[in-house]
Amino acid sequence: MSDAAAPSAPSSPVHRMFSLGRIAALAGNTLRDLIRQKVFYFMLVFALILIGASLVLVSLSFQGEIQTLKDVGLGAISVFTMLLAVLSSAMLLPKDIEDRTLYTILAKPVTRFEYLLGKLSGVIAMLATATVLMTACFCGVLLLWQGRAIDNIEMNYPVDMKAESVAAATASPDSTAPQTRRELEIQKLESETFNGSLFGAIAILLLRAAVCAAVTLMVSCFATSWLFTVVAAFMMILIGHIVPIARDAWQAQAGMGGELAIHIKLLLMGITVFCPDMQLFNLVDDIAVGKIIPMEVFMQTTALGFGYLAIYVFVGYLFFAWREL
Amino acid sequence: MHDSDGFCDKSAHRNGKNANNGRYGRYGRYGNYVFPIILIIPLPPIKRCTLRRTPSNFTHDIPPVSRKIPSHQNPVSSTPAISIQSLTKEFKSPSLFQRGSITAVKNLSLNVEAGSVYGLLGPNGSGKSTTMKIVLGLVAPTSGRTFIFGRDSRDVDSREAVGFLPENPYFYKFLTGEETLHFYGKLCGLRGNKLKNRSKELLELVGLTDAAHRRVGGYSKGMLQRIGLAQALVQEPRLLVLDEPTAGVDPVGSRDIRDLILELKQRGITVMLCSHLLGQVQEICDRIGIMHRGELVREGALDELISIENQTEFVLENATPELLKELRVKVEASGARVVGQHKPQQNLERYFLDVTNDPKK
Repeated sequence: MSDAAAPSAPSSPVHRMFSLGRIAALAGNTLRDLIRQKVFYFMLVFALILIGASLVLVSLSFQGEIQTLKDVGLGAISVFTMLLAVLSSAMLLPKDIEDRTLYTILAKPVTRFEYLLGKLSGVIAMLATATVLMTACFCGVLLLWQGRAIDNIEMNYPVDMKAESVAAATASPDSTAPQTRRELEIQKLESETFNGSLFGAIAILLLRAAVCAAVTLMVSCFATSWLFTVVAAFMMILIGHIVPIARDAWQAQAGMGGELAIHIKLLLMGITVFCPDMQLFNLVDDIAVGKIIPMEVFMQTTALGFGYLAIYVFVGYLFFAWREL
Repeated sequence: MHDSDGFCDKSAHRNGKNANNGRYGRYGRYGNYVFPIILIIPLPPIKRCTLRRTPSNFTHDIPPVSRKIPSHQNPVSSTPAISIQSLTKEFKSPSLFQRGSITAVKNLSLNVEAGSVYGLLGPNGSGKSTTMKIVLGLVAPTSGRTFIFGRDSRDVDSREAVGFLPENPYFYKFLTGEETLHFYGKLCGLRGNKLKNRSKELLELVGLTDAAHRRVGGYSKGMLQRIGLAQALVQEPRLLVLDEPTAGVDPVGSRDIRDLILELKQRGITVMLCSHLLGQVQEICDRIGIMHRGELVREGALDELISIENQTEFVLENATPELLKELRVKVEASGARVVGQHKPQQNLERYFLDVTNDPKK
């Protein structure tokens, strides 16, 4: 460091180190940039076609119809949100560096943390848009199927006005009159098709995609190429899917034969922090078979997702802050 | 700037003013003047002057865009716009198998006075861009410090006073020109009508009003430079840092950018630029620094650095051979020596602009 005296600085208003306005500007710009790209529409249309095609797949499946519909629909939302998250986040930073757009942004009074947070917020906004569109299409498919299923129930339990009036007169809670059974069937069908858990699970899928985006953005903060970022991010996400299975297997083995070795425990802990535990976000399988997910589980999963987001943004910022541009 | 004999101080041109009408010379330093003969005599004069006739048809040299750049209340301040103190930057070898480092900038110290136009010159790899990036806080120095109007340039708030145009910039190609300026304006805290008006003014200033609603992806190279310049000016900065501002731009666009820089200087905005177009640097810069292999090898006022102190240049019009012969005899009799005698040429830029000049503009 030079010991020369610094020139005197004129007084000026205090600069805010963290501005929601700047983050919103960056997020809005990122969202606009992403949704104007053809690849976004291509992937979205592909996902919507897949969700729509589940109506045809229903007749080919050996599973229950509603289970097949939910499997395909939620599976499509899950896969495409994750793909969109990784592919759109991976190019943000390298492209800005390559085009020198990053220089023009950081030469303004914008901190690197604001830049990263703004970019991530933009990607999450894009993912939310895509999720809302896919969910709307999915709900449309479910409604269509539900309408057909209700028609079938009504055909199986035709309306008999006389019996209905008798049933109403002798109203008992355990009544199994044909009309009441029909209503029960319809109610059961409706509750199986749409419930709070379904939309909760979709929100968790969005959160998982946001975590994938944060992982990708973190990798791009030290990576030197777009390809490396994509490959590394997918590897981390893949490991995040596989490691919980391996952990369960090891723990089951230890439960039978003794204590889990300390180095394996440390390794598992390290990997769980380094790679997000994707199985914890997987509520779709339970939803597909008609289980109701308790609110507690939703809250815990949401907290975990935000925890991962905070970790990856912070680590990404550390890499980015040290990076020579 | 003129004296009664028609002598003209060339610094008037470098200051951006034509001696005749106070506007900016469209065709470079010598405008539309006619130079039949130049005599270069190695005398020990104090001042180097050019004898010339002022043109009568200079009215078309008005810059093509309207000028609505706000002037600063106190444009010239005693605090240097940029102060670089003992700056050194070493880059570590990117290879895992090779140790060592590359020194991009070595012990560099310089000041850029507020309100001046400073040219940082040097061959490729001499450390100019690294120096600029350090000044803008994009790269951390290994040692030394840099200040912008007295604020440490590592502090984000120092950048409130700075506009930057990098070399060959590309912007978000899915945004229109207007949206691009809105984006950069929002980053600088501008909102609402103020932002809209500012964007409109800047689009007009850089001549992109007609392309305001076109996507930047369809802009030509010159248009990209112009929108780049507009984004650099969006928050009304006191300092502009320009890296090759006319790279890849055609002569007309290049002239417009040069005129704009001179206009900004008149408004009290400090400009620091890197350029390989030395002719243009000579026209607009007050001071220059020449870097070579990371070191500042020359620095000073342009006049002082490039003047040949023991030579004087006369440009005569309608001089007869007899007069020239007489002059030569007198010069040689006085002990001085005529180094050269030749007919001046108009520069290629002027010729090109004459040929491509659109009378509708």
